[in-house]
Amino acid sequence: MRVSEGVPRGRVAEVYHPELFQENEEVIIFTREEFNRTYTSIQRQLDYIVKVDLHLDRSEEWKLMGYWPKIMRSVHRIDRDMDLIFKKEPLQSYLDAYLYEHIQSSQDQVPVAERELIPTMEASHFHPLY
Amino acid sequence: MRYSYGIMDQRKILLYKPQLFLKSRDLLVFPSADFRNWHGDIKEYLDGLFQIDFQEMGKREPVNFTELNLALGVLNNITEELESLFDRENVSLLPYHYLSTLDEKYKKPRSPYTSDMRRVDLQVPVISPELKYKHRMEMVEEANREFTRALQEKKMKKKDP
Repeated sequence: MRVSEGVPRGRVAEVYHPELFQENEEVIIFTREEFNRTYTSIQRQLDYIVKVDLHLDRSEEWKLMGYWPKIMRSVHRIDRDMDLIFKKEPLQSYLDAYLYEHIQSSQDQVPVAERELIPTMEASHFHPLY
Repeated sequence: MRYSYGIMDQRKILLYKPQLFLKSRDLLVFPSADFRNWHGDIKEYLDGLFQIDFQEMGKREPVNFTELNLALGVLNNITEELESLFDRENVSLLPYHYLSTLDEKYKKPRSPYTSDMRRVDLQVPVISPELKYKHRMEMVEEANREFTRALQEKKMKKKDP
C-alpha cells in the first residue's frame, strides 16, 4: 500500500513522499507511535500462536483442547486491536494487561474446594496433635 | 487511537482534525480507501477464525488438528496482510471492501476454565481441620502398628536362640 511519513505544521501536514498521492485524494492520518504499538501488538499475538503451534506435539491431539482457548484469546486480542484503530478508546497496547477482556475470571467458577485451601487464622491455630 | 482524515492539496495535506496532532512529530499517511480495504480484509480473516471457533463449540467436541491447521492458514494470511501494509509495490486494485457483520454471539470469548477442569475440581475434597486431624491420626496409627510389629519381631528373635 502507498504509505508515507509526515510532520504536522499547524492546519496542514507535510508528507515526505507527496508524489505517491494524487491531487485531492482523501488520506487517513495516524500518529506513528500509536500505530506502531497497535501493529506490534498484533504481531506479538500472531507470534504467540505460531509458538504454541510449534511446541504442540502432533501425536497428542488431546492437548489441543487446552491450547485452543489460548489461541482464541490471542485472536480476540487481535480483533480488539483492529477495532481500536477506528475507535477513540485508549489504546490497550500501551498496557501490560488487557483491561477490556470480557472473559470472566475463573475465580467465581472455582468450586468451594479450591477456595477453602487458603489458610485462615482459625485453621492455622488449630493443632489437634500438639 | 487518534486518527484524522485529510485531503491532498498542492502536495500538502489539509487535516480535518489538526488539534489531535499538536504534540506529535511523526505522522503516518495512508490513502483512506486502501486503508479501509486493508482493515476490512483482516476483519474478514478474523471473522473466519471466529466461525471456526463457534463451529467447534456447537459440536461439543474437542478441536482436532484439521481445524487447527485451517486456523493457522488463516493466521498466515493475516501475517501476509500485515506485511503488505508497508509494501509499496503491493497495490490493491480490486474494488472489494468487506464490512464485518458478524453477530456478537459468535465472538463471545470463553474462559479457558472448561467443564472438564470443573469436573476435576469438584472431585477435590474439602480439606477441613477435622480431615487434617483424621489424616494425622491415620499416620500415627500406621507408625504405631509398624513399631509394635518390629518390637514383636525383636522378641521372637530373642526367644529363638
